[in-house]
Amino acid sequence: MAAMNVGDQPAESEPIANESALLLSILETVPDAMVVIDRRGTIQFFSKAAERLFGYKQDEVRGQNVKMLMPPPYREQHDGYLRRYQETGERRIIGIGRVVVGLRKDGSTFPMELSVGEATGGQLFTGFVRDLTERQRTERRLHELQDGLQHVSRLRSMGQMAAALAHELNQPLTASANYVRAAIRLLDAQQPNLDRVRQAMQHAADQTLRSGAIIRRLRSFVARGETPRQPEDAVKLVEEACALALIGVKERGITVHISQDPAVPQAVVDRVQIQQVLLNLIRNAVEAMEDGPVRELSVRTSAQPGCVLVTVTDTGTGIPDEIAAQLFQPFVTTKPDGMGIGLSVCRTIIEAHAGRLWVEPNPSGGSIFRFTLPTA
Amino acid sequence: MCGESHLSVAVVDDDDAVRDSLRFLLEAAGFSVATFGSAAQFLNEASFENLSCLVVDQHMPGLTGLQLINNLRSQGAKLPVALITGSPSADLLRQASELGVARVLEKPLNDELLLHFLECPCARH
Repeated sequence: MAAMNVGDQPAESEPIANESALLLSILETVPDAMVVIDRRGTIQFFSKAAERLFGYKQDEVRGQNVKMLMPPPYREQHDGYLRRYQETGERRIIGIGRVVVGLRKDGSTFPMELSVGEATGGQLFTGFVRDLTERQRTERRLHELQDGLQHVSRLRSMGQMAAALAHELNQPLTASANYVRAAIRLLDAQQPNLDRVRQAMQHAADQTLRSGAIIRRLRSFVARGETPRQPEDAVKLVEEACALALIGVKERGITVHISQDPAVPQAVVDRVQIQQVLLNLIRNAVEAMEDGPVRELSVRTSAQPGCVLVTVTDTGTGIPDEIAAQLFQPFVTTKPDGMGIGLSVCRTIIEAHAGRLWVEPNPSGGSIFRFTLPTA
Repeated sequence: MCGESHLSVAVVDDDDAVRDSLRFLLEAAGFSVATFGSAAQFLNEASFENLSCLVVDQHMPGLTGLQLINNLRSQGAKLPVALITGSPSADLLRQASELGVARVLEKPLNDELLLHFLECPCARH
């Protein structure tokens, strides 16, 4: 285009300049935010969508380290990630993509899906960022996890559900019995009114079917589509669960440490279920620290012989001895308004994966929950 | 039977099927039956003086069975009442007995116990 600022460049390079201008205009219209960094993490390009998403102008961020767009603990770790990639060539995010947390200029955080591509032989990295808080964007990835969460809360209310179900089932059973007894009485008469008997039997059958419908409803309430277990990147799995569980946690004055052993092998799991367990443990930990003077949460993934060990440590109120012994039983809780279903479900999920879930007191106050996952 | 030959019974239950099936059963046994879907409807529409008996469900939205009975007792209505419930707790039984409820019947109902009570509400067994 004539309007392109190609200035004093030789005429033969004009098509190339046009091409990069075209590319630029395409990139500016892509709805995903795009951030290009060099091998040291310095921001080289910051798209219009990125400006809208993070609240910074390109001028403010160009030349800065990209870690400014991440909250702790990712911020401290990013340089290390870049270095490790350059040393080992091992891809943990490039070409894979994962859910992480972004930090806006105003200090707020948001869940985002990040895909990273590599250009010019590892000199530049291109990051495409999808804001998962935007409704239409949320659907694909977050939906799956939230679905899982809803499943957990459905399990939580199982106790209440059982009581409601007993009442609800009793109604059609009562009605069926009444109709059948009425039919018998009618048949006992000298000249039975068979129309009336037929009506009674019809109603009785309807009520029996109503009982069946209630039971079907319960079954679909309990059973969610079974997902098969497959080898999963344990580091990524834990990171995603943390990203979701920790939204808003920074605002509560809690310091979070996430440490992931890069040597952790793949775990053979139902990813969503294990993330539910982790979400539950992290949320419990956050709640336990609500009013505490020291609020430190740490999530650690490490390789152990034959398994992956995940540790969630808090500096909260800890677990009283009289509760500790039966902590994983349903309906046991330290929370005033807790349902006490969470931990028993967590243990059930972990044990169904042939793992273990246990708790120990934190020597410096609070609790340490640990669970193991089978490796491939 | 120890009462008149044509006894009139009121049934109060919020569940349509339970209510209609009780009507069916009681009519088959020769009673004349009036049904009500809630305690409020019963209090507004029923004419107590013609009733020989009341069958009322405990677990209803709005006034519960016991609250309805309490209301009736405070109006001086002494008619015999059978309370039906899916979960007859000790507490419920105690409160029912304090309000002079002659029978508490667990759902699903034993029809012989119910009909025996309605035929001879004066009998306590």
